[in-house]
Amino acid sequence: MIDRMRRLCWLVASVAAVLAAPAWAQETGFTLRATDVKAKPFLDAELLAKLPEKTPVTVLVRQGGWMQIKVGETQGWVRMLSLRLGNPDPKQNDTSLLAAITRSSRPSANPTVTTGVRGFSEEDLKAAKPSPEEVAKMESFAVPPAGAAQFAVAGKLVAQRVAFVKADGKPEKEKK
Amino acid sequence: MNARFAVAAMLAACCLLAGCAPEQTAAFMKNVGGVEGLVRNIKDASGTIDEPREIELGHGMMETLLGARPLVPDAEVQRYVNFVGAWVAAQSDRPGLPWRFAVNDSDHVNAFAAPGGYVIVTKGMINTLHSEAELAGVLGHEIGHVIRKHHLAALRKGAFMNLLGAGAAAGAAGKSSGELVQALVGPTKDLYSRGLDKDDEFEADRVGIVLAARAGYDPYGLPAALQTLAKIKADDPYLALLFKTHPNPGARLDQLALAMGAGFDRFQGSPQNADRFRYATRNLRPPQ
Repeated sequence: MIDRMRRLCWLVASVAAVLAAPAWAQETGFTLRATDVKAKPFLDAELLAKLPEKTPVTVLVRQGGWMQIKVGETQGWVRMLSLRLGNPDPKQNDTSLLAAITRSSRPSANPTVTTGVRGFSEEDLKAAKPSPEEVAKMESFAVPPAGAAQFAVAGKLVAQRVAFVKADGKPEKEKK
Repeated sequence: MNARFAVAAMLAACCLLAGCAPEQTAAFMKNVGGVEGLVRNIKDASGTIDEPREIELGHGMMETLLGARPLVPDAEVQRYVNFVGAWVAAQSDRPGLPWRFAVNDSDHVNAFAAPGGYVIVTKGMINTLHSEAELAGVLGHEIGHVIRKHHLAALRKGAFMNLLGAGAAAGAAGKSSGELVQALVGPTKDLYSRGLDKDDEFEADRVGIVLAARAGYDPYGLPAALQTLAKIKADDPYLALLFKTHPNPGARLDQLALAMGAGFDRFQGSPQNADRFRYATRNLRPPQ
């Protein structure tokens, strides 16, 4: 009886743990490039394994710029931006760096050409009549700076000094 | 110049004779100058547009954008996105703008901004996010478009200017007191169906991660949101439009990998506030 109770408690605890985990836990993913697996989510942590490009992995949890993954018997941490979620699919968009650079070096004088509409269907936007009432409603929910600061404290958020970064990661020059 | 003044004066006189209140007349006069002044301002090669006009412009564009899809009728979530957004925007170099945030009632996954501090995220976008840090990153990206004036840059490009100019002429000749809004309807629809410049999107991503980090969040919220988007099939109808107006999420992640390097590792362990996010947005999620 006690044994059965214990087993039930363990089951309840396991289910609770699964429910408490982030919604994307236990996703599949794959490595974009050759990637180190570390024992902890830090660059200088112990090296557990080296994964070649396009290794399928199970993603357990994200912590900052790292994801905890499982591959075979190995469980450890890899750089989040060395992974993509889902399965490698040659028909999907080419996400390689070369492709990204080619895309981003297109002449930038032309805005992206598209028939799509950002945020709602094209039909919605075409049919739109200006709605001052909705904008007034939007303005009524505005939060003053003091309220935002209180909200930050409640969320244990502490403001940091961080410079804007350029495309290569170097800091932008601060405006005087 | 004299002719324009004469027309404005004549219209104002008509308005007075028709029994408008003096405030309405003043607003009308301001709008006549407003539209034409706006066109002049945006056309200005030096790219200067004063802040009151920028806010007026954004307000006018927002009337059309919210005319397309209204706010979700959930005061709690509206207030919540304003708390997160106001805190993130306070870390920008334009903290004094009248920042306004809203969730609109659309299942499409997207977010967009208008000049002067207006930001909308769709209900569909909220439902793909997992934490407040991800929301902060998405709002940070939109705040980036506003503080770097990307919409104004897009408006300055030919087609929009002609539309705005035509709207302004129609407005000045018309009888409506909302001619600024009317003049903006065409350019707004045009701009938001074309999207912004690709490089401006990449820049807004970099601003987004930095603002989230400054606000004390885990700066990897925006990349995490992009990873979610990257695994959704490109032919999903609710995402097709976002994909058409933006570089694909994979390209954006590659650019962020270059820009972030290991430079944001010092924020490892910063809050994601997933619980607060899930609670505040619980009524938007479809029943399981």
